[in-house]
Amino acid sequence: MAAQIDIDEVHWLLDIVQCLDVGVIVLDRQYRVEVWNSFMENHSGMGPSQVYGKTLFELFGEVDEAWFRRKADSVLQLGTRAFSLWEQRPYLLHFKNYQPITGHEDFMYQNVTFLPLVGAKGEVEHLCVVIYDVTAVAILKKQLAARGGQ
Amino acid sequence: MPSTVIPLLVCDDSAMARKQLIRALPADWPVSITQATQGEEALQAIRQGLGQVVLLDLTMPVMDGYEVLAHLRDEGLKAKVVVVSGDVQEEAVRRVSDLGALAFLKKPADPDDLRRTLAGLGLLVPSTAKGPQTPPRAEPVLTVNFRDTLREVSNIAMGRAAALLARVLGVFVQLPIPNVNIFEVSELHMALTDAQRGERLSAVCQGFIGDAIAGEALLLFHDSEVADMARLIGVQPKGERDTSEMLLDLASLLIGACLTGIAEQIDVRFSQGHPQLLGQHASIERLIHLNRTRWKKTLAVEISYSLEGHDVHFDLLLLFTEDSLARLTDKINYLMG
Repeated sequence: MAAQIDIDEVHWLLDIVQCLDVGVIVLDRQYRVEVWNSFMENHSGMGPSQVYGKTLFELFGEVDEAWFRRKADSVLQLGTRAFSLWEQRPYLLHFKNYQPITGHEDFMYQNVTFLPLVGAKGEVEHLCVVIYDVTAVAILKKQLAARGGQ
Repeated sequence: MPSTVIPLLVCDDSAMARKQLIRALPADWPVSITQATQGEEALQAIRQGLGQVVLLDLTMPVMDGYEVLAHLRDEGLKAKVVVVSGDVQEEAVRRVSDLGALAFLKKPADPDDLRRTLAGLGLLVPSTAKGPQTPPRAEPVLTVNFRDTLREVSNIAMGRAAALLARVLGVFVQLPIPNVNIFEVSELHMALTDAQRGERLSAVCQGFIGDAIAGEALLLFHDSEVADMARLIGVQPKGERDTSEMLLDLASLLIGACLTGIAEQIDVRFSQGHPQLLGQHASIERLIHLNRTRWKKTLAVEISYSLEGHDVHFDLLLLFTEDSLARLTDKINYLMG
């Protein structure tokens, strides 16, 4: 990314983050939502005003809090990334499959990346959670396994 | 030679590290420099009076920095030792201070930090020369090669990763000297089989790419040691899924810290793909299918961590693609320059 960004570009960048077809959530150290892009808005049915300042655990009962805290704490304390893969944990948030008509699965398989966000003081002040829809890959792999082709 | 000149010994197995350190010395510090490439040489030099002040690395072949400190203490040799190390575990700092080191600096040593530290210890006596300034010190000629530099870069990066690992597991991590080799792909298979030591393995693999440098990081776990790891972390994996996740988390930590450490030194930013669990309880042949048709050669950095007091080892391999070598060489040349 360019080292210097003018204010116009900030607008584009925000637009891009908004429109990415991956979920982008920024949480503070208390796991309260600060950024929520349109992927998150559309799949959860909740707008930014409904989620802002609430913790992920209040918003989504399906999140395994102990597990999430363990992942997130290591990111916040150690400053390294953490990952969650659909093979071990099919989803973080229970979203509908993108193919409600032709799809065979009821929910969206997700890979999740936890990124540390470093503030101006050099400390990790926020956590970015990026959610990828990997339903297509998961279905193919499961079909392959079912046919003994693994 | 005027008597105010301080005999300074710089001891590090890496020529690149010595060069970097000598450059970082305060320009107005009147010293005569002797170099040693490992602990035994350092002790000899100190016995000959060439090391009134010693800048000492910890991870070295033949005799490491801890042993040097122990010998100095046992023989009652008066040398003022500042440790300059890539091993930045809190326990490492504590141990060298117990052994009598006066200060600890993390690699690569920052010139300002070095000056402050030396001044703080009263070692940096401002030059009493009458002239406007002391004549510039003749910089020793050091030939530094690619492999040595990459080894030193990896050494610093793995030290950082070890410090995180030590924090998470509450253990002391024994650091090896990283191996840097250019392998034919067929040889790589042999090297991997070697790492296996006849055991069943689980492996996590993560791709990285940045600034035309690409590769894969591979972390090998020995299955027989997985239960011990879980105990150290304080988790009780309920089944295969939990175990996989534990390995994934450990791998992300080690790979992430190591890659960040390397990236910062050579000034790139790597994108990382999602890690992949290549398989569990398998032999190396089943785990890793090398793309022999595409790659002939690979640059491999091998780092084997072991945990003190536990029978736990991790083998971390950073494999760079053949076409990354040109750019990586540029970056390394810049560091050597």
